[in-house]
Amino acid sequence: MHTIRLKINGKDYEDEVEPRLLLVHYLRDKAQLTGTHVGCDTGNCGACTIFLNGKPVKSCNMLAVQANGAELTTIEGLAQNGLHPVQEAFLDKFGLQCGYCTPGMVLSGLALLQSNPKPSEEEIREAIEGNICMCTGYQQIVDAIAHAAGLMGQSRSK
Amino acid sequence: MLNFDEIFVTRNYFGKPVRRNADTRFVKGEGSYVDDLKMDCVYSGFVRSPHPHARLGKIDTSKAEALPGVLAVMTGPEVAAVTQPVGARAITRPARQHVMATGKVRYVGEPVAIVVAEDRYTLEDALDLVEVDYEPLPVVVELDDAMKEGAPLVFEEAGTNILLHDTLTHGDIEGAFRQADLVVKEQFRVQRYSSTPLENWAIIAKHDKGTDSYVVWANDQQPGRSIVNISNALGIPVNKLRFIVPDSGGGFGIKLALWPYVVSQCLVSRKVDKPVKWIQTRREHLLTGTHTPDCIVDLELALKKDGKVLGLRMKDRQNDGSFVHTAGIYNLIKFANIVGCYDIKATQAEMMSIVTNKAPTVQNRGVGKPVMIFTLERLMHRAALQLGLDPAEIRLRNFVQPEQMPHTTPSGEIYESGNYPECLRKALAQVGYKEVKGQQEALRKQGTYVGIGLSASIEPGTSNLGYYYTSRGTPEYMGNAEGAIVSMDYDGNVNVLLGSVEEGQGHQTAVSQVVADMLAITPDRVTMNSQMDSLMSPFLGHSGCYANRFNDVDMGAVIMATKKVRDKVLKIAAHKLGVPAGELRLRDGAVCSAKDEGKSVSFKDIATLAYKQILLLPEGVEPGLKEVAYYKNEIAKLPNKENFNVQMTHGNSLHAVVVEVDVETGMIRFRKYVIVHDCGRQINPGIVDGMAIGSTVHGIGAVLLEEFIYDENGQILTTSFVDYMKPLAVGLPRFELSHVESPCPTSLLGTKAVGEGGAIGSLAAIANAVEDALAPFGVKVTSLPITPEKVLRAIRETKVI
Repeated sequence: MHTIRLKINGKDYEDEVEPRLLLVHYLRDKAQLTGTHVGCDTGNCGACTIFLNGKPVKSCNMLAVQANGAELTTIEGLAQNGLHPVQEAFLDKFGLQCGYCTPGMVLSGLALLQSNPKPSEEEIREAIEGNICMCTGYQQIVDAIAHAAGLMGQSRSK
Repeated sequence: MLNFDEIFVTRNYFGKPVRRNADTRFVKGEGSYVDDLKMDCVYSGFVRSPHPHARLGKIDTSKAEALPGVLAVMTGPEVAAVTQPVGARAITRPARQHVMATGKVRYVGEPVAIVVAEDRYTLEDALDLVEVDYEPLPVVVELDDAMKEGAPLVFEEAGTNILLHDTLTHGDIEGAFRQADLVVKEQFRVQRYSSTPLENWAIIAKHDKGTDSYVVWANDQQPGRSIVNISNALGIPVNKLRFIVPDSGGGFGIKLALWPYVVSQCLVSRKVDKPVKWIQTRREHLLTGTHTPDCIVDLELALKKDGKVLGLRMKDRQNDGSFVHTAGIYNLIKFANIVGCYDIKATQAEMMSIVTNKAPTVQNRGVGKPVMIFTLERLMHRAALQLGLDPAEIRLRNFVQPEQMPHTTPSGEIYESGNYPECLRKALAQVGYKEVKGQQEALRKQGTYVGIGLSASIEPGTSNLGYYYTSRGTPEYMGNAEGAIVSMDYDGNVNVLLGSVEEGQGHQTAVSQVVADMLAITPDRVTMNSQMDSLMSPFLGHSGCYANRFNDVDMGAVIMATKKVRDKVLKIAAHKLGVPAGELRLRDGAVCSAKDEGKSVSFKDIATLAYKQILLLPEGVEPGLKEVAYYKNEIAKLPNKENFNVQMTHGNSLHAVVVEVDVETGMIRFRKYVIVHDCGRQINPGIVDGMAIGSTVHGIGAVLLEEFIYDENGQILTTSFVDYMKPLAVGLPRFELSHVESPCPTSLLGTKAVGEGGAIGSLAAIANAVEDALAPFGVKVTSLPITPEKVLRAIRETKVI
């Protein structure tokens, strides 16, 4: 067993974990943060996307011990009050159906917008290539991220 | 269709793209899927057969049981000894199968033992410690082999691998072919694929010792039927099983077949006296299904010179793998939709459901219609070219015309509404049909191979569930219906409980829009259960999320129950205000006198009378404001082979696709994708658009990417999303979607099927476009998927994809 210390959504955690414990299982089972989902086990679907030290990672492809000392943000930590503009945008544009891919899509969309505040449609599609949605056919998700760029631009200029 | 004035008091929300605020939890990561439920569960998992066909020998569980943290192991034979076999629905041959393997295994991945452990990781260790003796048997994998004399038998008691073999003839089929100027025929092969919901199957079962009963949480799609199946298998009365369906991460039909796994979960939960959780992995999901059946379809069209189709013959051989519960269903659905959007007077369908050592199959999005429309629309394209007609023109000449509605097909299906020519004309204009055709030759000279393809598809909804009677005795279920409970609470807000479940279609929002307009309130005052609970929900055997039925029977039940509540509210208000009920109107959450709006009583005050000050209620009015209604679609006919309607609403769509085929790499790129869609009236266009586009992408996956591949030994080679490729955001076109609105006269709101359409129409449209693009090479498309490898081989050698 290993002791890991990490910060998730601003809160400190310290736990004894098996070395083989996947980070996504740590988040879901130990930290009880079930907004991070498992859809494929092979890193293809992106439902388990979280931010690790500010960068998006797939938490099913990492061990919990590898996150020792890191700062994590999961979907639950995105907005302190109400909804983040990307979350608002997904609702505004019908960018979700069953909701299972949504946390990963929202975070991948946000990661793009942080580095590229005005992405083209093609850039949005490339940014979510590591996230699979089985319901929407992606078009309304792409529209939601484009719309989020507008909302975030507005809030910056305020 | 009811008069809208009878249904709606306001028209503020129906038909508008109201935001799915009820689903805010999903964008916040606060959904409640089965694996998210905070319960003190232990974990179960399955030892699965590595052999496609083998006698099951000794199963040694001792090492697994000795591992610290392991709580129980049950073998397939132990489970079979205490459960009833799985019931068949459509097949006519005897075939006995249990929820887990016993005696022999029939496919790679069939569960042979279930293990329970304290955590996921110990469980994985324990699964490796179960030792199973197998005596391999000869394997039968592909259809051609399964039908051969002396082929290995998947179910010995059937005496054959063909478990359903029937021929249904309607109209003068011999005459049609005798009078034909041209007969066009082709053999098509369509692969196994699946819509693979992103959330895999998930079950928690909890046995209660005191009452010897079970509570189950599962992401099941048809709980009304699963409850019966599970109780039957366990040999318990249904009142010993409480069944709850929380949030579900997509379904597409694939979650109609998880109930056999609930049975084994219940047994082990009883054994360990703890709630037991099973979370299927993606590998398990792809390995053991469920899949669509692969099939070989021979289709023949009899045509006159002017393009009119006189008759149509189909021979359908379907590889149903090894699940008796669903075998044969696709055959019957294909048959029911055999004429597509066309007025064809004579049909003949020979259908065979064939079992092999492949994984189980279940109803995947569209169920049979994708293949039926693919084959029909491919042949319409071919026939046009052979007759020197434009592919658009031949369709216009054969469509059922809007003035023919309601139109009854030869087998008895009633097309109640639709305007197929208008959809085609609109699509041709939108896609720039003539312009694309005009540019093709010049582009080819530059080495750019562009093709345009059309597909007209029927999109039926609301299954008349007795359809499998057409192959066997009196069905257990007939028609289709749903139940709803609508209540107004102390605050005058409205709560809705539906018997069905949701797989992501925004039912809560759609229901809130309709109820809000029925009661003159805002949708945020209407809440709907996000989970089906058999203890509280007004369910029927039909209850579930399948067959595009929500807009019809689910909404019907909600409307009828809301009307009852509204009538009672008006009755109490009339008494309170001293104004006759006929002179009252609803406004902003209150009832007021139409003549004197100052005379008003709020819903909250009415609720106070109904729930608390009950002595002030009018005479003969019961306390409370909760009403239940069950609503059935009235046009369902009794099962009868000669004249039967399998579906009760009929949407349709027209797909027009322009593709470019790179003849050096075999890659197919979309240049334009137009969908014209008719689902009658729309409750929420934002949701409808997502359904139409999402389902189309399922079809694109099936046409271009997805295939469950088995080797000749029966081993499946595609068990992750690395091998089994799904469509991604990159590579898809921007869909241009527009609508034609032909209201459905047989649903209360004029709404009809939406949700499967794109998965049906896209296959032929893309295949037709590819064949058109490759016309200079003489390449024919007769199979799916159209992979780059197959494209190149066809261009260079075989001329056939």
